[in-house]
Amino acid sequence: MNDTVLIIGAGPTGLSAAAGAAAVGKRVVLVEKENKLGGAPILSGYAKLVPSGEWAKDAIGRMVKRVEDDSRVTIHKGAKVSRLDGDFGNFTATLSNGQTVNAGAVILATGFTHFDSINKPEWGFGTYEDVVTTTQVEQMVGAGKIACPSDGRTPERVCILLCVGSRDRQIGREWCSKICCTVSTNLAMEIKELSPKTDVYIYYMDIRTFGLYEDKFYWRAQEEFHTKFVKARIAEVTKAPDGRLLVKGEDTLVKRPIVIPFDLVVHAIGMDPNLDNPEIAKVFGVELEHHGFLQRGEHYTATFSTTRRGIYVGGSALAPEDIDTCIAHGLGMAVRAVGDLTSAAQKAA
Amino acid sequence: MAIHEKSLISPGDLITTEKLVVDGVDVSGHWNTMMKPRYISDYDPDFYKIIQSYPGGENVHRCWQCGSCTNSCTMYAINSDFNPRYWIYLTNLGMKDEILKDRDIIWQCVSCNKCTNICPKDVKPEGVMKALQHWMEDEGHVGKSSATLFDEEFTRQCLARGRIEDTEVIHNFFTKTGQDLMQLIRKGWLGIMVARMNKWPLLREGRIGAFLARMPIAGPLRMGLAMVFKPRTKSWGRTGEVLRQYVEERQAKAGTIKTGINRA
Repeated sequence: MNDTVLIIGAGPTGLSAAAGAAAVGKRVVLVEKENKLGGAPILSGYAKLVPSGEWAKDAIGRMVKRVEDDSRVTIHKGAKVSRLDGDFGNFTATLSNGQTVNAGAVILATGFTHFDSINKPEWGFGTYEDVVTTTQVEQMVGAGKIACPSDGRTPERVCILLCVGSRDRQIGREWCSKICCTVSTNLAMEIKELSPKTDVYIYYMDIRTFGLYEDKFYWRAQEEFHTKFVKARIAEVTKAPDGRLLVKGEDTLVKRPIVIPFDLVVHAIGMDPNLDNPEIAKVFGVELEHHGFLQRGEHYTATFSTTRRGIYVGGSALAPEDIDTCIAHGLGMAVRAVGDLTSAAQKAA
Repeated sequence: MAIHEKSLISPGDLITTEKLVVDGVDVSGHWNTMMKPRYISDYDPDFYKIIQSYPGGENVHRCWQCGSCTNSCTMYAINSDFNPRYWIYLTNLGMKDEILKDRDIIWQCVSCNKCTNICPKDVKPEGVMKALQHWMEDEGHVGKSSATLFDEEFTRQCLARGRIEDTEVIHNFFTKTGQDLMQLIRKGWLGIMVARMNKWPLLREGRIGAFLARMPIAGPLRMGLAMVFKPRTKSWGRTGEVLRQYVEERQAKAGTIKTGINRA
């Protein structure tokens, strides 16, 4: 019986799971398909994280360093699992780099894929340079300058459209991505900090800054940074003759059509199931739920289980999730994997 | 003329001309009615700051449109066009034209303050209603309210003489609000009020001397004399002038707030 824990994905969930399993003395093999550890916050260049306000490169950087410095953790970068044989207690994974890994349990921390706004063409992404996504604005904040990509000017007026690729049956996204409201209100404040003369408008259906994100992000953006919240679902984004973007829609509270000029339009993009999920399901022999995220097993007594024994799943591979929760899921999965391996070993003895 | 959803068109947005020529083509008659676009084409992002500068409007930017104010509103129960939530939204986005469409309704607020008590974001909607009223007055969108005219007269006398003369305040207030004083005495409440100041039971008991002695004569006489001689408070001197200067300085510092002091 092998008690090594194989962890797939080195984002916040996988890094937390690796640190957790190593902390209780297990050997860990961490497999990351990219050549860099850290997951979406690092690969997409997030600026300050919610709710801590810490820079992603610092906060996630600490998580990476903790795992890299741990002698019990073996890391494979730029590698995927291409084949998994065996069962709980005796898995053998074949990696794309040709190596094999023997492990007793597998943790899937495979995360999500950002919604590609090109799938919502009426909102102008891919057509107009000054229509960008929240991840692009995160990168602008990281670089310390908010500018229109078309000509580099500082926008007088920015609008953030919520629920782009979320809560939209038309394009098969029948879920709330949970964190975009909070991220958007946070970005609205960061834009205002970098460019105090810029007015920021948020177009919303509902504001879902859940839990303690309510006053820290929603109220603060509104009360201290004077972000304007407009209850309107947008029909289309077009361009005015003067080059500014025109946001067309209906203000549902005024019951009137609106055609408002903006310099920069930001899509608050949602969280899609990882594009690799069909492949992951096939390789690991687990099921997907109907949206395309990984299917979880019985939750109350077999938390973070998949539909296959010995394989665990958590974080944003399960559903849209915020970073803090992902980190908690990582630790939870470490406990589940190590716990199951320990009790199986006790039974065998 | 059958126009679908005609109720959504403001009367001011319809333009009808007897004779209309477009690009050299006479389209008078059937095609003589034009409609202005009814979409909203821009916001005034700083308008809320003007409303915030009035007492009561300070927290207007906090509103998140829950609708507690409107659903608790005394006036909304009577007139569903009276919608504080809606006006607060228009204020925050700076849709002045939309607010002005309701210029004849907003003043109906009875200041019961149920909205202020229930508001989860401490917006003080009642104060916002007052702020909107004052803004509309100051911008000349509506005539001066009776309350403002009273304040102006009261302040004017205070500054001029360090005191007010009731008769003069009432007289000038009635004149400015277009109320006929003589009519109010002869047929209105003023006559009744003065008549009730007499001790009529004394007259009924036949005590004519006592009745005459209690007739309100000395007071009105003093008031009448004060109307003519306009006495000032002792040692008033330049106090009024200094007071006015002080208030103006404070207002200049505070921003754009306008009150009876400036207008008086």
